[in-house]
Amino acid sequence: MSQQAPQEIGQLSFGLMDPEEYREMSATKIITADTYDDDGFPIDMGLMDPRLGVIDPGLECKTCGKHSGSCNGHFGHIELAAPVIHVGFAKLIRRLLRGTCRECARLCLTEDEKREFSENLDRTRALGQDLNDVTKAAIRQARKKDRCPHCGEPQYDIQHEKPTTYYEVQQVLSSEYSDRIAAAMEPDEDSERVTPTELAEETDIDPGRIQEILSGDFRPREEDRKAIESALDVDLTEEDMNKLMPSDIRDWFEAIPDEDIEVLGINSDRSRPEWMILTVLPVPPVTARPSITLDNGQRSEDDLTHKLVDIIRINQRFMENREAGAPQLIIEDLWELLQYHVTTFMDNEISGTPPARHRSGRPLKTLSQRLKGKEGRFRGSLSGKRVNFSARTVISPDPTLSLNEVGVPDRVAKEMTQTMNVNERNLEEARRYVSNGPESHPGANYVRREDGRRLKVTEKNCEELAEKVEPGWEVSRHLIDGDIVIFNRQPSLHRMSIMAHEVVVMPYKTFRLNTVVCPPYNADFDGDEMNMHALQNEEARAEARVLMRVQEQMLSPRFGENILGAIQDHVTATYLLTNQNPHFNETQALDLLRATRIDELPEPDGVEDGEEYWTGRTVFSELLPDSLDLEFTSSAGDTVVIEDGELIEGTIDEDAVGAFGGEVVDTIAKQYSRTRGRIFINEVSSVAVRTIMHFGFSISIDDESIPPEAQAQVDEAIEEANERVEELIETYERGELESLPGRTIDETLEMKIMQTLGQARDSAGDIAEDHFDDDNPAVVMAESGARGSMLNLTQMAGCVGQQAVRGERINRGYENRTLSHFEENDLSADAHGFVEHSYREGLNPKEFFFHAMGGREGLVDTAVRTSKSGYLQRRLINALSELETQYDGTVRDTSDTIVQFEFGEDGTSPVEVSSSEEEDAVDVDQIADRVLESEFQDEREKEQFLGETREPTNLSEHADDWWLAQSDD
Amino acid sequence: MVDVSNHTLVPDHTLLDDGELEEVLEEYNIEKTDLPKIKRTDPALPKEADTGDVVKITRDSRTTDQAVVYRLVVE
Repeated sequence: MSQQAPQEIGQLSFGLMDPEEYREMSATKIITADTYDDDGFPIDMGLMDPRLGVIDPGLECKTCGKHSGSCNGHFGHIELAAPVIHVGFAKLIRRLLRGTCRECARLCLTEDEKREFSENLDRTRALGQDLNDVTKAAIRQARKKDRCPHCGEPQYDIQHEKPTTYYEVQQVLSSEYSDRIAAAMEPDEDSERVTPTELAEETDIDPGRIQEILSGDFRPREEDRKAIESALDVDLTEEDMNKLMPSDIRDWFEAIPDEDIEVLGINSDRSRPEWMILTVLPVPPVTARPSITLDNGQRSEDDLTHKLVDIIRINQRFMENREAGAPQLIIEDLWELLQYHVTTFMDNEISGTPPARHRSGRPLKTLSQRLKGKEGRFRGSLSGKRVNFSARTVISPDPTLSLNEVGVPDRVAKEMTQTMNVNERNLEEARRYVSNGPESHPGANYVRREDGRRLKVTEKNCEELAEKVEPGWEVSRHLIDGDIVIFNRQPSLHRMSIMAHEVVVMPYKTFRLNTVVCPPYNADFDGDEMNMHALQNEEARAEARVLMRVQEQMLSPRFGENILGAIQDHVTATYLLTNQNPHFNETQALDLLRATRIDELPEPDGVEDGEEYWTGRTVFSELLPDSLDLEFTSSAGDTVVIEDGELIEGTIDEDAVGAFGGEVVDTIAKQYSRTRGRIFINEVSSVAVRTIMHFGFSISIDDESIPPEAQAQVDEAIEEANERVEELIETYERGELESLPGRTIDETLEMKIMQTLGQARDSAGDIAEDHFDDDNPAVVMAESGARGSMLNLTQMAGCVGQQAVRGERINRGYENRTLSHFEENDLSADAHGFVEHSYREGLNPKEFFFHAMGGREGLVDTAVRTSKSGYLQRRLINALSELETQYDGTVRDTSDTIVQFEFGEDGTSPVEVSSSEEEDAVDVDQIADRVLESEFQDEREKEQFLGETREPTNLSEHADDWWLAQSDD
Repeated sequence: MVDVSNHTLVPDHTLLDDGELEEVLEEYNIEKTDLPKIKRTDPALPKEADTGDVVKITRDSRTTDQAVVYRLVVE
């Protein structure tokens, strides 16, 4: 494709199309349903007429002379034998029919009402609210009128039978009027028999006429009918449905005056209501419905073409029948059929209409289906596209990479390219890439000569081509170490799901990540795949480097704290390193720090057995910035004190270095820089990896076993709880249980049992916990916050506890019992899903079943939650997508309506302000101090600026004496 | 009836006079209809507020002491 200058869209206007316009833009009228003749050439004035555009390469378009690819195609048209309704406007047609007069076609509103609605419409438009509310109200008002305010014609109700049939409902005299009158004259509970003479008197009708009416010989006039109806309190009418043919509706709409439809919010210049009834059908160009040639040479046509064939066939039959003077019934049937085909041509998923099907039984994909839904034109082809310069593969961990880096497989690096603009200074480099060819790694795939011609670099021509490369050429070279790329994992739920990484080209087939970036991507390595995009211009590369690099995304805009930090084993390791503050000899200490910048140890902390030693905290302190001061409480519970970059006391764990708000990481990223933060996290994770290798860390079933005496205690505690539950049940059955306020007795019993069993599990957990050493791996992980909790430990070693479905004990299953193994109405703990064993002991079959029930609920909840929250997120994104913070600090949408007068009320970014509850979000004093600090070299100048010291005046020598008297020196 | 405007959680709603309104529109370079809206029936509005008026709402804020917002009264 040739390079075209981008064009700006000046204006878009939406409206209905004049049938005349369809004819004008049409390249040809289509009259035959056939596509190709026996020789395979398109038939003139057929659906594949060559004037509608070209799809076969090499042919020339008969309308514009362009070839396939550059010719966009041209519309044709079908002259419909009779008007049909456009389904898309069925609702608007109904509204117009209901709101306008059946006789004079004017809107059934008085001039005053019209003016009022017009003004209301203008106001609503200015406020940017929904015009539909106003127009609906106008129609409602017009429908209330029994008679047209202009011509006085009585108005009837319009009934709409979906999708495209309209009836006018009139009240006419029932055919069985005489029987109804006679029945009403008979006596019943609360009325005497009415004689014809009495009736004649009451209704003021001639008695002879009454007799005639009663015998059914004479149909009463409307006034007479109403008189009889009110006298006898009967209904003599029945509904008469009069079908409105599309041609009638078209005539009706043609007569609606322009100024009346303006009141309904329709622009009469662009749209006339009669255009909603089609008389001409535009035929989409062949480029919009290309036919495919199958392997056996047979042509397979597009669904739209199939549908158009149907329309033309019926259209033709309609015309023939009408000319032959066929009976009205047949004409109407054909008309309805034509309507059906035109309807399904536009939308094949209309409720109440069977979808048009392919011969195979598959519903046809017609116009509306092409646009709608996730795979439709809007969401599938316009908002989302497949792109070049992207790669996707499985991810795997590599702790030796920096968190800013990504390992890219060499075969990906050889496929994805960056454009080099060759000049005098990089000429040598560019030639080297080209001479390497496309197969060996830092090579090149394409070059573009100065004249714009693109040449492929091949193994054969690479040497030769390399010599020809001159300044002004462009070389598409392979990705190399240090290039910036964008990396993404779906679902992209927050901005940290897409970050920029620096490339490190590596062997094998997976993308390699530092494990520290797993939390923002929510990635793990159980088969997750991620996408990479190579950036294609300098602006994008610069933007990605400055704004999107992983370290720049270190602080989350959600809670303003760090989202990068030590995870899992890193946390365990820093805990092991600092909790008991172990001693290391020189070799060991240096080994811990081997992957960091630190290559010299500080002064040893002391001498033990004639050997110098360094403590874990000293080793950790080496990673901290020299001037860092910090004090906080760790998740292990002790106070962490850092002074001048030295960890004085405390345990470094999840709360200190963890992702999601680790104090130390957060402080370094905010007070120093993101770069310092990145270095810190990288070094913590490397030291952590060496540390955990030094100590060794594993977990097994034995680590959760407790001594027999402890097991006895646990069993005892559970037995006790069971007894208490039995007692509760007995009290309940004796009817002596007192209900808690606001609960029934049954609920009270359930609550008390749940409470008792909960306590039992907790005490079992406490017993188990008492028997675990502090260096038990599960305890270490739970304490440090690396993985798992004390509850998990309780369930593994003590007792799994009560299983719950919908927050209650398990109550479902058989009639009055959970399983057939229990007696009916058994309220005991084990009959309702209390698991008294621990995971380590193992569950018995009944317990296992209850456990599965509770587990299943959890799984279902997660599944439901993800789909619900996904839809919610989509709607939220659509609602907020066009909001933008302007340079004046306001947040506005695309129509310049103000949404916030100052971004987030205060105009601050959550990652730049303090996230702690106690402090002020913005500490103005501190900022002022910092500005002054950097602005003035020495204290004297600063004091001078602040007016804290008075300087000798230079205005007059006479003032010197006064000045000297003021100051001390 | 309870007058909600006396409640601690309901911020101050004051009507703008023409001069002040002009200033606000000037400051943000907008039309009156570009302002956020508030229904005339909103109980927090002062009684004399009518459709087409603009109210100034002064809220307490945790981050900035006071946050000022303007709203156009609509039906």
